[in-house]
Amino acid sequence: MRRANFVVLLLLGLVFMPALRAQVTHIEMRVEGMT
Amino acid sequence: MKQHLGRQSGVQNVEVSLLDGKVEVTPKEDGRIDPAQLLKATYDSGVSVAELDLIARGKIVKDSSGGLQMQVAPNQSFALAPSESSKALEPLAGSETKVTVRGQLYKKPAGRKKPDTSAPLKLLILEVEKKE
Repeated sequence: MRRANFVVLLLLGLVFMPALRAQVTHIEMRVEGMT
Repeated sequence: MKQHLGRQSGVQNVEVSLLDGKVEVTPKEDGRIDPAQLLKATYDSGVSVAELDLIARGKIVKDSSGGLQMQVAPNQSFALAPSESSKALEPLAGSETKVTVRGQLYKKPAGRKKPDTSAPLKLLILEVEKKE
């Protein structure tokens, strides 16, 4: 039972961790001289 | 240019719109992307960058001289350009509150062709999207 709880928590952590991490999530550039 | 940018560290996907000269970069989740390096790589591929905007999530910290910075990774932070928006974030300095902001990291100076890549880039906050 305890192992099952641990696995569920681990999976939840893996799913939500990237969304909670501090990071650059998007970059947009406007460029000139592109052909 | 798309291939060149796609080879840069931390880049997952690059979308180029020839019509409006827009380049959208999706970073990988490893947090290793370096916008300044991306700016340089874009110039190296032969085009001129007029503007670089980004969305980032991180903590507000103060540097040794009291200037505000946004820390987006343990080894990556952007100095904040003084503005009303950055002033509003000052009370959060040193706290664990994470903020999501949309900001401008680079704008081409008028009348100059090449950017001074040696100068540190400052993040001008355009909008605070979230505080949590």
